[in-house]
Amino acid sequence: MPDTYTNKLLVIDLSRKSFETIPVSDLFKTDFIGGKGFGAKLLSDMVPPGTDPLGKDNPLMFMTGPLTGTMAPAMRGCVVTKSPLTGIFLDSYFGGSFSPEIKYAGFDGIIIKGQAKNPVYIWINDDHVEIRDARHLWGTDILESNRLIKNELRDETIKIAGIGQAGENQVLFALIGCEYNRQAGRGGAGAVMGSKNLKAIAIKGSKPVAVHDPKRFQAACAKAFKELEESPDVEAFRVAGTAASVDYANETGLLPHKNYQSGTFSKASQLSDIGQSRHIWLGSSACMGCPIRCSKIGAVRTGKYKGIVTDIVEYESAALMGANLDISDIRAVAHLVKLCDLYGMDSMSTGNLIGFAMEACEKGLIKAPKGIELTFGNVIAAEHMIHAIAGQKGKLGKLLSKGVKQAARKIGGTAVKLAVHTKGLESPAWGPRGVSGMGLAYMTTDRGGCHQRGFPVSYELAGEWEGKPLDPLSSEGKAQMVIALQNYSAGRDTLVNCDFGSYGISAETYAELLSAATGKKADPDLIIKTGERIWNLVRCFNLAQGLDAKKDILPHRFVKECLPDGPSKGHRISEKDMDYMRQEYYQSRGWDKNGVPLDTTLNRLGIGYAGPHQ
Amino acid sequence: MDLIKGYNPRRSRLLIQLKNENLYHLPVVCNQCENAYCMNACPVKAIQRNDDGIVCIDPDECIGCGLCVQYCPIGMAALDPDTQKAVKCELCQGNPLCVEACPAGALELIYKGEINA
Repeated sequence: MPDTYTNKLLVIDLSRKSFETIPVSDLFKTDFIGGKGFGAKLLSDMVPPGTDPLGKDNPLMFMTGPLTGTMAPAMRGCVVTKSPLTGIFLDSYFGGSFSPEIKYAGFDGIIIKGQAKNPVYIWINDDHVEIRDARHLWGTDILESNRLIKNELRDETIKIAGIGQAGENQVLFALIGCEYNRQAGRGGAGAVMGSKNLKAIAIKGSKPVAVHDPKRFQAACAKAFKELEESPDVEAFRVAGTAASVDYANETGLLPHKNYQSGTFSKASQLSDIGQSRHIWLGSSACMGCPIRCSKIGAVRTGKYKGIVTDIVEYESAALMGANLDISDIRAVAHLVKLCDLYGMDSMSTGNLIGFAMEACEKGLIKAPKGIELTFGNVIAAEHMIHAIAGQKGKLGKLLSKGVKQAARKIGGTAVKLAVHTKGLESPAWGPRGVSGMGLAYMTTDRGGCHQRGFPVSYELAGEWEGKPLDPLSSEGKAQMVIALQNYSAGRDTLVNCDFGSYGISAETYAELLSAATGKKADPDLIIKTGERIWNLVRCFNLAQGLDAKKDILPHRFVKECLPDGPSKGHRISEKDMDYMRQEYYQSRGWDKNGVPLDTTLNRLGIGYAGPHQ
Repeated sequence: MDLIKGYNPRRSRLLIQLKNENLYHLPVVCNQCENAYCMNACPVKAIQRNDDGIVCIDPDECIGCGLCVQYCPIGMAALDPDTQKAVKCELCQGNPLCVEACPAGALELIYKGEINA
């Protein structure tokens, strides 16, 4: 009987200019399902400690899940590699239409090894795999190379993932652009691609993705669509994407302002859906097969930056490139974010870094580039820094291209206190000082300071978790919530789903979709337990790569400085709070006091082989 | 889904044209043209208009030459990769699956003369 797996992985070795397919075993599918699970296991097997993330031995993997490319709504793909920014596990998810095409070409995933001597791109047309010269594409931005490749291959319908100049230059937070307006954004997967001299992957696939039980699958899809239709959260995404979160974060005091010094911004609504719908949006667009259509596509029509086409400035970018830099002109913010998208670098990390540089400059710790006033609110300075970082131009551009952790260390002194990151990944736009569970999530997330492997904020501000009252400021009882959210998130990331879909689609429906698609028994517990297995496997990988408990922390600003404004004014997450939450977390996870998974835990999850004793 | 035993939008009988970085995404559907070039170009008369005005391909007559594909002005005829016969939108015997599937209500089946508004 068919299932939605293609049961093949495509392995391309750029050093040897060769490719092969390897089978996907039943055991592999049972234990790890797909997406994040496949990536985590393969990375653990392929990447020994000490592997240079930008060397030939670090694989770059594009993984799909058993629901990618089917009618199941709101599905995506993921990139898995060892991050050059953090030195640990990286998974980065992207919507759009690139990941379904991997399946249509006949693969559950693509693993890229080695390094090409000269710039190349990969052209996959079903079974035809070709490594093509890309010297003429080197130096072009993501949209231009997309156009050029389509012209060259004479097909507008090809789907492309590629890097811009930032990836070529190995900016450590460079991203991979997956058409259109979708990015494997965080952690520097674009730099890994650049280090391989790989400009792009172009795919066209004609094969259908078959499901095990079509009737049952269609019924499960209908249920998923209905759940999305009935969810007020999904309705909010449909109307305004994540832009409305700017006002929400401002009202709750979680919005980063001036490098997270405060948590509110008086001009927030100019950056939110209120400002964006007025100045930018023209219509909605959707990733393949998704009814949510959270994208609000449009153009800057007036003013200095008129003429640019831009997707919605989603919350993280609006907050970090806008409020965090004290910039309130949404058209200017759209322009800055578009520059990041074209160069191919993470607009979250970039906004965080420019905020860091502006504060460091105002405090006299660094010198501004000649002729530039590197002060909060200065759009021209922000634009200058984006060009400088992407092109690694000038002393400051070069410095910042290494990420905020390394940049602050190089500057030295009190600069380290201004660097807002966990494990090297620049913090997202949800200041955690008023929501300590979010703080714990940043401390413990597998890829570093990230808000997407569990988002406790909504539960903390609602004041309830699983029917019990929850105090957002307290450190108690946060660990269980964070662990439950992380396990479920890691489980869903095997499918590979979109976080927004999970606001409507229930765990039961995800399990039913999986079961009907593959013919294997599945229930919510299976998804959660698989998530827990992956989380522990990744923890072992990260520990082997040099991580330790001392790095499960929040940045200085959230620990030592009290929030000066908003409803949680005066609050911080102290060392004591962190210690308490961390120990409660380790214990609930079945890890020892140093955050190392116990053998009993690993054995219970069937991954005894992953332990540090090995 | 039933026809090709799986999912792949490339096998659908309509397409979404993306323009200008996806600022525009236009659905392109078969017009069932009054002067249908596909029908005119078919050398074996495998393409005929039925009583409802829908331009249909008889797979038994089709020789898979691809002339209809070549001369349709909007790319709505294709050769099925499995059968190597020409296929086009025939409106699913009056119950188009695309209309049923569209979550945004952008597609509707309307017969000529039904638009009174």
